[in-house]
Amino acid sequence: MQLQLQNLCKQYGTKRAVNHVNATLVPGVYGLLGANGAGKTTLMRMISGVLKPTSGNICLNGKTIEELGERYYTHLGYMPQDFGFYPDFTAWEFMLYMAAVKGLDVKTAKARTEQLLHMVNLYDVAGKKVKSYSGGMKQRLGIAQAELNHPSILILDEPTAGLDPKERVRFRNLISDFAKEKIVILSTHIVSDVSYIADTILMMKAGNFLLGEPMATVTNGIRGKVWEVLMDPRRAAEYSRRFSVVNLHHENNMVRLRIVSDTAPAADACTVEPSLEDLFLYHFGENVQGERSGHYAD
Amino acid sequence: MLIKYEFLKILRKKSTIIVMAISLLLTAFLFGLPILQYQTYNQDGVIKGFDGIAYEKEQAQNVSGPLTDAYIAETVAEYQRLFENPDNVGTDGNESFLIGDAYWNFEAPRDKLLSLIASVYDAPGEHSGLSKLPGLDMTDGVSYYQRLHEKVQTLLNTPSRELSTEQREYWSNMSSKVETPLQYGYHEGWEIILTSFELLMFALLAVCIVIAPVFSGEYQAGTDAVILSGKYGKTKLVTAKIISSILFGLLAFTLHIIVAFGLPLAAFGTDGWDLPLQIAGVTIPYPFTFLQAVLINLGVVYLVLLAMIGLTLLLSAKMKSPYLVLIVLVPVLFIPLFLSPNGTTGAYNLTLFLLPYRATMPEIGKYVSYQIGGMVFDALSMRAILYAILTAIMLPLARLGFKKHQVA
Repeated sequence: MQLQLQNLCKQYGTKRAVNHVNATLVPGVYGLLGANGAGKTTLMRMISGVLKPTSGNICLNGKTIEELGERYYTHLGYMPQDFGFYPDFTAWEFMLYMAAVKGLDVKTAKARTEQLLHMVNLYDVAGKKVKSYSGGMKQRLGIAQAELNHPSILILDEPTAGLDPKERVRFRNLISDFAKEKIVILSTHIVSDVSYIADTILMMKAGNFLLGEPMATVTNGIRGKVWEVLMDPRRAAEYSRRFSVVNLHHENNMVRLRIVSDTAPAADACTVEPSLEDLFLYHFGENVQGERSGHYAD
Repeated sequence: MLIKYEFLKILRKKSTIIVMAISLLLTAFLFGLPILQYQTYNQDGVIKGFDGIAYEKEQAQNVSGPLTDAYIAETVAEYQRLFENPDNVGTDGNESFLIGDAYWNFEAPRDKLLSLIASVYDAPGEHSGLSKLPGLDMTDGVSYYQRLHEKVQTLLNTPSRELSTEQREYWSNMSSKVETPLQYGYHEGWEIILTSFELLMFALLAVCIVIAPVFSGEYQAGTDAVILSGKYGKTKLVTAKIISSILFGLLAFTLHIIVAFGLPLAAFGTDGWDLPLQIAGVTIPYPFTFLQAVLINLGVVYLVLLAMIGLTLLLSAKMKSPYLVLIVLVPVLFIPLFLSPNGTTGAYNLTLFLLPYRATMPEIGKYVSYQIGGMVFDALSMRAILYAILTAIMLPLARLGFKKHQVA
C-alpha cells in the first residue's frame, strides 16, 4: 500500500497553508511535527478527504481520491483535532452511529464496538452519555471510532492534546497497538509523544516538509550541534536570550543549559547526544521556545 | 440505521424538547382561546364557555336544513312580518332592529342565517347587516341563487379586481359547481379552524428551529470532519439527515395539528364537516365542504412546511451556526405578518399571498388568482405548485451544500 501526496497545495486567500508537499507513505507510523500554524492540520484534512487541495493530488495505490470515491474512505480512520461528540449519545450509540457512517453492517458494528470499547477501556461506561466523560475518555473514544472500519490509513491530529501524562502514556500504547500494517500519521507538537512510537519523522514548516527521516537517524543532522554548559545564573540568563536553549537545570548555585547551536556557545561547552526535541528546536527556533516551555516535563 | 441515529440526534437534544413543549403550549393556547373566550347571550344574560357552545349549537340545529328559495322567502317574510309590528322594533336613531320576544325567539337563533341571506343583497364591498331585510321584495321573480350568481358576476367584473377574461371564466366556472340549495347547519368548529390557520406559523417556526442545527450544528461542534471522512459521510448520511429532518418535521407538525384542530373540534364538535363553505361566506367560489377545505389548505400548509424544511436545511448546510440560520429564517417567516395586502391584484399583493405566512391562510373568498399564459391558478393551487417546486429545488441544494462542505 502506498499513499502519495503529489505537489499538494492549499491556499487561503494570500496565505499558502500547504505549499507543494510531496511524499510517498508506506505502512508505518509517521510523526508529523511542526509549530502551530505549520500546516499540519490542513495537510491532514486534505489526506482525510474533508478539505479539497487548491492543487495537487492524493493517490492511494496510484488512484486519486476522486477516482476512488467512497472506496477511499473505507481505507480511512480519522481523529480530528478537538472534534466534538454528540453529548446526548452514549459511547455505545456514538460508536454504532459512526459504524453506520462508515458503512459497517449492524452485526459487525456491534461486535467491533464491543471489541474497541474494551480495548480503550470504556466498555464499563459505554452506556453513559458522552457529555459525562473526561477529556481523556473522549480522546479514547475518538481513537476507537477511527479504528471501527479497520482502516489502513489512520490519521490522528493532536490526539494527546490536553491529556495528563498518565493518559498520554496510555494513549501512545493504544496507538502502537492499532498501528500494525497501517499508514499512521500522527500529528503533534508534543515531541516526546512521537519519539516513542514513530518510525519516521516528518517535520513541517511554513506549509512544506522540512525533513522526512527514519526515527533512528533523524537527529543525525544535528549531531555535534547540541551542547551542555554549566554557568552562573546571571550568565545563564544572557545565554537564554542569545541561544536556543532546550533545557535549563539548576544545580546548587549554578545552572546547566542545554543549547542547540551550530557553533560552540562557550569555550567550556561540550557536545551531547541530540534528541528529537533538540531537532525540533533547531528548526523552529526561538519562536516556539515559549510555546514549548510547558512540555519540558514530558 | 443512519436515519434512526439522525432522528435520535434531533430528539435527544434538550433544546428540541423545550422548543416543542413551548410551541405545543402556545398552539394549544391560541387554538383554545376561542373556547375560553366563547360567550353567547339569551334572555337571561351571558352564557360562557361550554354552556354557551351547547346553547348556540342547540339554537343552530333548530334552523338547520336546506336553504331552498322557498325556505329563504319564508324566513325573510317572517322577519318582515315581525318588523311590521311597531312593538317588536327598536331604533338607535340610524337603524331599526327587532327587540323583545321577536328578537329572542326569531332573530337570535337565526342571526347568522339571516346575515347570510341578507349578504346576497349587498353590493360588493357593502356590509349592511340585516338592515335591508325589512324592505326586501322577494316577489320579484328572481330567486335567491340567481341573485347570488349575479353578485358573483358583479364581483368578478369589478374593475378594481383587474381580472382577465380567463380569470373571470375560471372563477365563474368554479362558482357554478357549488351545489344549491346550500345546506345550512352548525359549523363553528370548522370555521374557527379555517380562520386560524396562520397560527400554525409558530409550529412551523418551532420545526425550523429544531432542524436548523442538522448540518450547521455539525460544523459548530466540529463533528463535520469525522463524519465527512466516513464512507457514507457525503452520500447516505446526507440523505439520512434530510429524511430524518422531514420525518421529524412531519411528525412534530402533525402533533401540533392534532392539538390545534383537536381543541376546537372537541369543544364545538365536528358538526358541519359535510356542509358547504358558502354558509360561512356566500360568495366563496370553492365548491368544497368545510372538511374538504380544511384538508386541502392543510395539504398546502404541509407543502409550505416541506419547503421551509428545505430552506432551513439549505441554510444549515451553508452556514456555520444554527443561529445564523435562524437569523435568515425568522424574517422570511414573520416579515409578511407585518405586511397587509391592499387588494387582490398587482405584483405586491400576489407575491404577498404566496409568502409563507399568508400562504397558510386559506383566503378562500378573495378570488386571488395567478395567470401564466392562458392558464389560471387559484391561490391554493399556486401555493401548492410553488412550494412543491421550492421543496424540490432546496432539498437537493442542501444535500449538495453539505457534500461540498470543506472542513477549514
